[in-house]
Amino acid sequence: MTDYIIRRLLLMIPTLLGITIMVFTISRIAPGDPFSIAMGPGGQLDAERFADIREQQKKLHGLDKPLPVQYLIWLKRVATLNFGDSIKHHRPVIELIKERLPITLTLNLIAFVIIYTVSIPMGVLAAVRHKKLFDRLSSVILFMLWSLPVMLVGQLLIGYLCGPAFKNWFPPAGLSSNYADTLPFFSWLGDRLWHLVLPVICLTYSGFAYLTKQVRAGMLESLRADYVRTARAKGLSNTIVIFRHAFRNSIIPIITIMATLLPAMLGGSVIIERIFSIPGMGMLAFEAVTTRDYNVVMAVATIAGLMNLIGLLLGDIAYAAVDPRVSFESKV
Amino acid sequence: MSENGTLLSVENLSTYFFTEEGLVKAVQDVSFCIKKGKTFALVGESGCGKSITALSVMRLIPIPPGKIVSGKIILEKQNLLKCAEKKMRAIRGNSIAMIFQEPMTSLNPVFTIGSQIVEAIQLHQKKSFEQAREDAIQMLRKVGISDPQRRIDEYPHQMSGGMRQRVMIAMAISCKPQLLIADEPTTALDVTIQAQILDLLDDLQRQDGMSILLITHDLGVVAERADDVGVMYASRIVEMASGRELFAGPLHPYTQGLLKARPTLGYQGKRLAIIEGTVPNPLKFPSGCKFHPRCYLGCKDKRCQNLEPQLRQVLPGRFAACWYVPGYETAQEKAEYESSYGPKQ
Amino acid sequence: MINMTDKKAEQKNWGVSYGQMVKNEFMKNKLNIISLFFIIVLFLLAIFAPFIANDKPYVIRIEGKLSFPLFSSLTANDYVILLAACIGLCQLLLMRRNQRTIEPTMRGHVLRRQLSINAAIFIICSVMLYIFIPSKLDATDYKGMISSNRASDAVFAPIPYGYARTDLRKREQPPSREHWLGTDDVGSDVLCRLIYGSRISLSVGFVAVGISSLIGIIIGAVLGYFGGKVDFIGMRFIEIMMAIPVFFLIITIVAYWERSLFNIMVIIGLTTWTGDARFIRAEFFKLRNQDFIQAAVSLGLPIRSILFRHMLPNGIAPVLVNATFGVAGAIFIEAALSFLGFGVAPPTPSWGQMLSLGVSTTGRFLWWLTLFPGLAIFVTVLAYNLVGEGLRDAVDPRLRKAA
Repeated sequence: MTDYIIRRLLLMIPTLLGITIMVFTISRIAPGDPFSIAMGPGGQLDAERFADIREQQKKLHGLDKPLPVQYLIWLKRVATLNFGDSIKHHRPVIELIKERLPITLTLNLIAFVIIYTVSIPMGVLAAVRHKKLFDRLSSVILFMLWSLPVMLVGQLLIGYLCGPAFKNWFPPAGLSSNYADTLPFFSWLGDRLWHLVLPVICLTYSGFAYLTKQVRAGMLESLRADYVRTARAKGLSNTIVIFRHAFRNSIIPIITIMATLLPAMLGGSVIIERIFSIPGMGMLAFEAVTTRDYNVVMAVATIAGLMNLIGLLLGDIAYAAVDPRVSFESKV
Repeated sequence: MSENGTLLSVENLSTYFFTEEGLVKAVQDVSFCIKKGKTFALVGESGCGKSITALSVMRLIPIPPGKIVSGKIILEKQNLLKCAEKKMRAIRGNSIAMIFQEPMTSLNPVFTIGSQIVEAIQLHQKKSFEQAREDAIQMLRKVGISDPQRRIDEYPHQMSGGMRQRVMIAMAISCKPQLLIADEPTTALDVTIQAQILDLLDDLQRQDGMSILLITHDLGVVAERADDVGVMYASRIVEMASGRELFAGPLHPYTQGLLKARPTLGYQGKRLAIIEGTVPNPLKFPSGCKFHPRCYLGCKDKRCQNLEPQLRQVLPGRFAACWYVPGYETAQEKAEYESSYGPKQ
Repeated sequence: MINMTDKKAEQKNWGVSYGQMVKNEFMKNKLNIISLFFIIVLFLLAIFAPFIANDKPYVIRIEGKLSFPLFSSLTANDYVILLAACIGLCQLLLMRRNQRTIEPTMRGHVLRRQLSINAAIFIICSVMLYIFIPSKLDATDYKGMISSNRASDAVFAPIPYGYARTDLRKREQPPSREHWLGTDDVGSDVLCRLIYGSRISLSVGFVAVGISSLIGIIIGAVLGYFGGKVDFIGMRFIEIMMAIPVFFLIITIVAYWERSLFNIMVIIGLTTWTGDARFIRAEFFKLRNQDFIQAAVSLGLPIRSILFRHMLPNGIAPVLVNATFGVAGAIFIEAALSFLGFGVAPPTPSWGQMLSLGVSTTGRFLWWLTLFPGLAIFVTVLAYNLVGEGLRDAVDPRLRKAA
């Protein structure tokens, strides 16, 4: 198994290179540069006056060299984990990421855990009570949840639960209240969690539908299988047949989904972080893209890509661990 | 049918399926006896209801579309159709065991074969894990799997079809059942493996005095291995006799057709005999005798077209369901027929 | 009507084609029919938008003379959309007739000919429309003319507002009798913009999915058929596309390019094809070894024909199902992009952009700007998802019954 892992890790390198090249090319080909944007609309009109300053800034940040050279320089720096400085924030990119990544990760992990704990039992129950009331009802409700746009839900929640106009149950923005620094640890934690409730709700509700459907489909297929009939013929009770035989087989596709769900959620958190003004990776990426903060853009792309690839690898390993029919030799 | 030698007696069993497209009468009024230590073969084409009959004995019919509407299945003085589910579960795998047609898919792919056998043993017998594992190894040896100590921890996908079927048999006999139901056990296997599996079943029967209910469509299998045979057509048993007598002189035109259709050594030249027509759709059974559209005797007979013959004893130990079998119709029925339709052709 | 077709087909001894089987199965479920019906209503709204919501009246009498401002202000876009709808309808009716009167073997050929003729007509007429219909902007205030008695006898559309018409005196008004769903930050009527917004959503959905399906099918087919080294390289490329967080990639691209509807459609199409590619690749792997493909190869048929005539129809089912979900997804993505400010530029109406106005610059919560566009997105996406699910179920049992 170790050489399989090593092989996969080695394969990741060209993929990561490919990702970085693609993002680099896309972000540089387009017209414009970060300084014109930073200087505001006036800066673009009065090109001559600001041209000097712009050229100096470019030289400072190494943006005047030909593109392939810039890329190689960047690559060399990354090898030492130096992602450069943010043009907008004037700080090393690594620091920014260290601040923001844990926040996004926490948010997504909490949502992840909630989704899985709720969806798996629901899916199993829906499959066992196939075509009965629970199945139909949950199917309809889940469909509707799946179709609700996050923006709508987020704004409604903020509008109705966060303001003095209606109810003031939750804070509308940010991760901690202004006075949070002065609180003792548990109160600080509670304050944090209180701030996280609404964003987590937004992240989880659409994941329910997808996962429950998959669990249900997998269970239905398992329950129809011949080995379930054999198990019943042996005299096993219905509960044992469902949980030990059918469920164990239907976990397999669910585990592979787990690997792809995390990257999807990281993408979705951009909107949620924007709605709730949470300073996470999503917001960072959004700001970087709009202000053409190249170093940050590349760093986000690299790290996100890396996490995705690791997620896929973990998914494959878990899949092989759970399904004895799959061996590492058979996979590339 | 003698009372003493009978292990399982099925009386007037009827199983229907209530589907979206209509009512499917899969098994109608089926009765037969399985004697202790003997093999009863249920023969018929695909779709005639023989598998459903076997599943009904085990009460493994999926209940929402299916329902056992009437009949009795007597095992040791209990009616299996009336006992509680809990009791039925104690019987399944224990007194009555079943093996299925597709060994490829009938074993759970994520558990070792050992754990699946041990599961069956521990369910019905109070044994510790080590004891059950030892038993399982013994079973594997008994069904002819070499090196059982090693193989017991293998997964189903690592074994060939024939070996998987042996594992299924080992699992089935692990609790020493009185009756083994084998639903087309060899259909999915190569011809050479077929013979081995059937020999194995024979050996087990001789060693442990186990009865076997053999479901098959293969007449060759039936000829060699069955003590008693029941021929099913379109949800009913149309002829029942001991194996030897059935093959020596079949009474029902369907059985006759089946036997004539086999190629035999030394047969040369002309085309094989066939039975005209096809098996009827269970949603649209013909009226009267279900075989009449294809029967060389009764296709034009008004009585065969309208009145369905029930299974009756025509000779000691021989049963048939056909108006044309000698000794079938009573004198009164003959008189009724001749008065309605004129003398028989 | 469906039964009649089957009976006639039975009379002539034709089998039921794959498409017909799927359609019959699909129609059995009432929920599917309702969703499909709703999608058709949405289409009608989008097609006839200028006739439903317009600030110019159908007919008005100015100084004694009748004039028809609404009709004369229709843009080339409007005409092209109406033309597309007509041609589409004709094609559907023709296909209906095909099933009833043309034998199955000829049907493919006839269908191709019809499609090419229709496509040609459409393209020629659209080009001519674009050339000959000037885009004039009619800013006449017809309502003002009515109220000041310079004109009379006007018949307005049901919703008498234009989507680009702003009225800064009526900004951010909640729903009232005049503006049934309220107004937005520049005073435009919300209901009117909602109806026009459906055009954007639907066109983005279909074009983006069309592009992504096309790319996905071609790549998947090539990888699946050729295998080996081609497959290895191709899979690396697909992995790269899959490893980048898609949304991030989209905003990166969109942020740097000009904001236009066309760009968005193309970009969404260019980034979401990986799912289809993987499906087709898997199907083609399975199909490649089947006997009928070996037979086609041994007959010496060209690769193009084997891939697209023989293998593709057999493997297309999951792609079709994915396509409907893809339309829902594309609508979501477009709404999200517009919400973040990357989408189409005003005054073009977009549901996502309207959502972003929900919280005004003064911090007031303008619930009607959140609820109604959000509901519009919700209901549309729900309908597509239900149809997609219905399609998935319709395609599946057939496979099971056949097996």
